[in-house]
Amino acid sequence: MTLPVWAWIIVLPLITSPLVYFIGHLGKARGIFAQRTALLALAATWVAFVLATQDLQLNGISKHIVGSIALKLDGLSLLLAMIALMLGSFVVVFSGHYMAHDDGQEKYYAMLVAMIGVMIGLGCTNDLFNLWIWFEAMAVTSYLLVAFYKELPTSLEAGIKYLVQSAAGSVLVLLAIGLVVLETGTLNLDLIRQTAQSSPALSAAGILFVIGFGVKTALVPLHTWLPDAHSQAPSGISAMLSGVVIEAGLIAMLRSLSALSGVTTFWGPLLMGFGILNMVVGNLMALGQTQVKRMLAYSSLVHVGYMLVGVGIAFSMSDVIGAQGGLFHMFTHGLMKGLAFLAAGAMLYSLHISMGDHRPLLFDDLAGAAKQYPWAALTLSIALFSLAGLPPLAGFMSKWQIFVAGVNTHNGWIIAVVAFAALNSVFSLAYYAPLVNAVYRCEPSVIVLSGKQLPAVMKLPLVLMALGIIAIGIWPSIMNWLTEPAGIALLASLGG
Amino acid sequence: MATLLVLLTIGLPWIGALFVLLTGDEHPKLQHAIASIFSVAAGISAIVLLWFTSDQSVLSIPMGSVFGVFTFLPDALGVLLAVIANTVGSLAVIFSIDYMRGNEQLGRYYALVMFFIGAMAGLGISGSLLLMFLFWEITAFCSYALISFHNDDPKAVAAGIKALIITQLGGIGLLVGALIINSYVGSYQISAFLAEVEVVPFNVLTLLAFCFLAAAIAKSAQVPLHTWLPDAMEAPTPVSALIHAATMVNAGVYLVARFFPVFEVVPGWTTSVLVVGMLSALLGALMALVAADLKRALAYSTISQLGYMFFAVGVGAVFASQFHLLSHAIFKALLFLCAGAVIPAVGSRDMRQMGGLRKTMPFVYTVFVIGSLALIGLPVANGFFSKELILEEGFMHAPMWAYIGMLMGVGLTALYVSRMVFMVFYGERKGKKPIHDGLFWMRVSLVALSFGVFTTWLLAGVLNDLMAQTLPFHDVHAIGTFKLVKEIALAPATWISLAVIALGIGIWILRKSLAGIKDSLRPVARLFENGLGFEHLNQGIINVTKNLSAVLHLTQTGQLNWNILGIVGMLSVLLALLFIGV
Repeated sequence: MTLPVWAWIIVLPLITSPLVYFIGHLGKARGIFAQRTALLALAATWVAFVLATQDLQLNGISKHIVGSIALKLDGLSLLLAMIALMLGSFVVVFSGHYMAHDDGQEKYYAMLVAMIGVMIGLGCTNDLFNLWIWFEAMAVTSYLLVAFYKELPTSLEAGIKYLVQSAAGSVLVLLAIGLVVLETGTLNLDLIRQTAQSSPALSAAGILFVIGFGVKTALVPLHTWLPDAHSQAPSGISAMLSGVVIEAGLIAMLRSLSALSGVTTFWGPLLMGFGILNMVVGNLMALGQTQVKRMLAYSSLVHVGYMLVGVGIAFSMSDVIGAQGGLFHMFTHGLMKGLAFLAAGAMLYSLHISMGDHRPLLFDDLAGAAKQYPWAALTLSIALFSLAGLPPLAGFMSKWQIFVAGVNTHNGWIIAVVAFAALNSVFSLAYYAPLVNAVYRCEPSVIVLSGKQLPAVMKLPLVLMALGIIAIGIWPSIMNWLTEPAGIALLASLGG
Repeated sequence: MATLLVLLTIGLPWIGALFVLLTGDEHPKLQHAIASIFSVAAGISAIVLLWFTSDQSVLSIPMGSVFGVFTFLPDALGVLLAVIANTVGSLAVIFSIDYMRGNEQLGRYYALVMFFIGAMAGLGISGSLLLMFLFWEITAFCSYALISFHNDDPKAVAAGIKALIITQLGGIGLLVGALIINSYVGSYQISAFLAEVEVVPFNVLTLLAFCFLAAAIAKSAQVPLHTWLPDAMEAPTPVSALIHAATMVNAGVYLVARFFPVFEVVPGWTTSVLVVGMLSALLGALMALVAADLKRALAYSTISQLGYMFFAVGVGAVFASQFHLLSHAIFKALLFLCAGAVIPAVGSRDMRQMGGLRKTMPFVYTVFVIGSLALIGLPVANGFFSKELILEEGFMHAPMWAYIGMLMGVGLTALYVSRMVFMVFYGERKGKKPIHDGLFWMRVSLVALSFGVFTTWLLAGVLNDLMAQTLPFHDVHAIGTFKLVKEIALAPATWISLAVIALGIGIWILRKSLAGIKDSLRPVARLFENGLGFEHLNQGIINVTKNLSAVLHLTQTGQLNWNILGIVGMLSVLLALLFIGV
């Protein structure tokens, strides 16, 4: 049995993850060895990714079966792989200094590489049980990363909540899988789509999929684990959580739900309904926050809302622009939210962590930080304004694509949803803008004055991500090679 | 050539912004120099573009998929906006050399101002609705960032965020409109929409018309979305002159003027534009009359004058609205920059702490009076010709109640301007002795603008001609300057308004004998001082939102059991919906 070239994007991170652990364990300076090995592992995976992309462009969608595991490479797989690899690489570079004072760094990097691997695997799956396994693996690796600061009670509390709620979601998914097998007799996503008939059991299964995966995707009101997990995890992990893990949950939901697309026309409106709920609750909750990372966590709810509207339109109207828009937003959100968390993390590092304290980063702490940390301040501002949807930044372009899809349907309700989404985008300025204003004050806060310098290597990912956001904002078509196949793949899995 | 000029007009300020940032705040003299040189070059480029106006697009950049083609179409409407943005912009930058001397964050200031100037020019020259929207948003961002420039002042930050949110909310009208147009016409090109408007169903066209009007009202601070402009006066004064008097606030007028040919057939639209204009003209004037803060008075005056421009579009006089846009940009920028000389010299923005400055600041006094003549609308100043043209059109085409309202506005304008001039420059000195009478670079800008007040009206014929040539969808009849002037001079409307102006000035001069009437109007005055309740409405909306947010915070209990209940609860709700048979 030979693996196709593209399967290596899954295999490489998985087999190198234990290597990262052992090599890290060997050296005296555990962290550096582990980090370097992780970078090598990711570099190898990047090579495989490029080959996989070429494979998709040349040969179209490919499938492969290993024993009873059905794998598939399509645009959605590549999208998730790209986000995971891109964000993962930046986080590994960033974490060198950030995690330098902590014990267990070899576990951190090993788990991070493993998490990337299982997420890519999740994207490449073509059957339900396989999907569930990758999903659980992703959950397990992320639990360890979220609760990394094991001496801190708040960190453990966040980890436990995340674990229990995630497990609750997983049980619901398992129930759904059971129902699907009962009705259709198969676990293969393609076969399910072909044989699924309208039935209450399958509709219930769909709802269970939405709720079950929805816990991980942070649908409201299943999102309650999110603010704690984001604020307690190390900043690189917060970036991964908001930037990829949530998106992976959404892709799992899309994969499973699209197999049931023939069962009812309810899925589109359901997703859009959750989208609206997420936007409203996310925005209102973000408004009163005093901690930077909690505000960013609630902001992720809002952005999941935009993604849901996009894919909801795709489900309802079999619209490829909606699909592409929602998935484009998945990518830009990964980039923007990743940058926001890393920039905030950079300041958190300089002001607190480098001096050994694990206090949360407050809005007030950042007053006047721009003078001392100009790059972190500028990149944070770019990330925040991009999240708010101001042009010429990436966030505007991906939202625009979703809006175009919505208005092109000429359906009054959907256009109202688009207007509502635009309204929410404006509203979000109410909590992003004050942070930027605070950062550019002339009078630095006491905490800023006693802060340490930011190492240059930590600035590198920030600057690269900011440049990416600006580049996509000015030339949104540069990501078409990734988002177009993804949109087409989603539509294909809907039977369109 | 036109392509190159378009690129320079937009690109020079942007490149200048980048260079100022790269120079760094350690080299302020170099920053001042770079900003001035680039903005003046951009001004020259915009003026030269006047010779290359066209009704065809001169630059097309395909953006792929849903983003259409970004086109640049330098027709008269757009180039006028670009010329004003770049020239008044360069004068505001030159003024800033003295005004912002010693500021620690000069790089951020100049970069934002220059970024704004380029975006404003781009807004006018855009042929694609999406591109126009992009520039619209960028100007809103720069406006916010400059209003809240003094980040350490919570009032400034609040004012900036308020301006941002109100103008962005209006912007949703433009966003949805652009999307709808694209979905029917198949492209974002403004010219395509104007040519093929029949493909849009009539009810959708009506929606579009009012969406665009909402966007214009917010951007131009017309009633009822005007509350952000007086608060925006927290910005450094050159910014108030440039953004909140001469350029950005004109974007709303530009929008309704640009789309007038397709929206005039929508029932109620022109009347709405007219009414919004009239209300803003009157209420703005009344609020200016009771304002104590010099900049706020000028802000209310801006709201009022923009009302005149909206009124003009409402009666179908697109040329008159643009002509007044030009005059107003010059004389209002002049007045604001005078304020920018007086306020630091005296150390206060409150007119009750000024007075008698005629003797100690004679230069500024002279140029302020020149600006005032234009604002009141006295002959020889550019404001006279443009305002009278609007009133003449109103006399001929507007319903009588609307014309009378605008006429009352003229009288009120004369009254509040007289009050302003008197409180600042006449009477006894109440505050500190001024430390200067306009520094060198301040004077350069003030002189240039004063020259403009006396001369820009001569361009009427040229502007009219360019509009007739390059605006195929607008019905503009070409008239020469002198014929226009003669027409204005002999129109009965002009004589009526000159009489009303005399009445207004007369009321001020005779104010002591009219003190009884003034006292009886005190409660009304207090109503206007408090912004007629619009501020309360704003605050009310903010409070409701904050309360909702606080209530929602309670749902984040931090307790695992409640969280699980949320999951199970939602599941139950959905399953129930399913079995009810949705």
